[in-house]
Amino acid sequence: MAHQGPSHALKTSLPETYAAINAQRPPPSYLYPTQEEQDKYLEGRPGATQQHLEVALEHAQQIQTQKDAEDVILNRILELLELPSSPTADPAAPSQEDAVKLKYSLAPFRPSDYDNLILERNFEDLCGYALCPHKHRKQDNGPRGGFQFKYGPKGSGPGGRGRSVEIVSQDRIEKWCSDACAERALWIRVQLSEKPVWERRAGDTRGTSILLLEEARAKRLKAPAATSSISSVVDDLQSMGLGNRNRSRELALERGDTSLIRPDGRVNVDIRENQRGSQQVAAAPQMRPEDARGGSIEGYVPRERRDVDQDGDIDLLDRI
Amino acid sequence: MDGDSAHSMEAEREMTRLWRTFRTVYELLADRGYEVSDNELVLPLEDFRAKYADPLGYPDRTKMKIQARPTDTMKMKYTPLPSKANPNPQPDCGTIYVDFCPDSSGVGTKQVRAFNHLVDENNFHTGIFITQTPISPSAVRLLSGVPGRICEHFQEQDLLVNITRHELVPKHVLLSPEEKGKLLERYRLKESQLPRIQISDPVARYLGLRRGQVVKIIRKSETAGRYASYRWVI
Repeated sequence: MAHQGPSHALKTSLPETYAAINAQRPPPSYLYPTQEEQDKYLEGRPGATQQHLEVALEHAQQIQTQKDAEDVILNRILELLELPSSPTADPAAPSQEDAVKLKYSLAPFRPSDYDNLILERNFEDLCGYALCPHKHRKQDNGPRGGFQFKYGPKGSGPGGRGRSVEIVSQDRIEKWCSDACAERALWIRVQLSEKPVWERRAGDTRGTSILLLEEARAKRLKAPAATSSISSVVDDLQSMGLGNRNRSRELALERGDTSLIRPDGRVNVDIRENQRGSQQVAAAPQMRPEDARGGSIEGYVPRERRDVDQDGDIDLLDRI
Repeated sequence: MDGDSAHSMEAEREMTRLWRTFRTVYELLADRGYEVSDNELVLPLEDFRAKYADPLGYPDRTKMKIQARPTDTMKMKYTPLPSKANPNPQPDCGTIYVDFCPDSSGVGTKQVRAFNHLVDENNFHTGIFITQTPISPSAVRLLSGVPGRICEHFQEQDLLVNITRHELVPKHVLLSPEEKGKLLERYRLKESQLPRIQISDPVARYLGLRRGQVVKIIRKSETAGRYASYRWVI
């Protein structure tokens, strides 16, 4: 399964990779219920509607995806325990096949999953770096292990004098066969995405484009030669197209400003000013005859005036 | 000579610790409702040493394998209520197998795979894997992922003392599906309205409770003598 996968998977995005994995597996046991089954289920439950059922099913599917993804990761860990394929492999120059397999397998990993892989490899008495065939270091410093001084190379101390000293706990040293392997393995770890695979989106390239340390170094050595002259810098700036409108839209999308890219998106709010009424000038209030005595306040007549009313003078307004 | 006596002291210590764990395992099996004979429950240290010690005096864990069959009461408790689809339900329990892992450190997927294979091959219903150290996270996942079988994990030090014998731990009694139905009917409850207990709760782990079961917890009460409450396992 893994051998036909890599070439295909590296070109595509993660969810597609995942779909490809699913396609290779036997049909899952949690097949989506048909409309008839759904109707039958709803018949016995007067309070439930089709909408409720759909929401419940969607959540169930999400949980199942999550479980499946975790199973995939576990299987990948078990596969990676077998790397490298030859016992004489050189971790600095791994075989093409192993490197591709490692990169492909690590795609759904989170850093914590990667830590589990390292732990498992150490339990198998192997160096934590998946492409290294050597045993991991073992130092016997008594039952508790504890800490160790680690000296840097000459001239690595403060101000370029002396040597730098680090105090490292022993289990961190014992994960690897050498410092070089530690660097290689941790370089891969920082490239993994923190997001669990079932939450990643199609455009998320983190985790899919993993570089080995050696590849990254080779790239960096090549890179400066290309951008040395001023003209090339100018060319680069122009090719970035800072004033380009389309380009700025893409940038806005990257920032998460989706309103630019979809001006007529889902929430289509159209603001129109109400023209009527705004041009009329309101008239000033005028004195009416009934206002002279105040009248009633929402049907209530103040007591002082009620006495006057009993004299025979009927206030029409109070009757209303 | 001095080194020798230190060695035998160490061996003696480990032997005693393992003996206590071993006894707790039998108590656990008895409490869950498996068939355990009385002399297995009160196995003296001398007998344990005679049976399971290697020539150096250290315990030999590879010899310590336990199998037990469920009693009829346990079968009754684990039989679901008959329904239209399943008018003649079978009890959801069977032979249990307990294995002590001999590796003293670094128990990972390799050992768990071997254990899973053993449980599957011999068609045990439940397996208990006991190790000296914690097992790796992927091993835990692997252990719980055997379809159709229940595999549990304990550390030896978890079973050094039997937690349910502590005076502050109330008695937990598993209800059969029938008793659960009666309880829900009497109080006019849905099961989701009961108080809950986590499946990872130490006592729930000890009793091997499964999701959806209900336990009756009987506490001492100063005013009422005894007080029962019920919890739904989630």
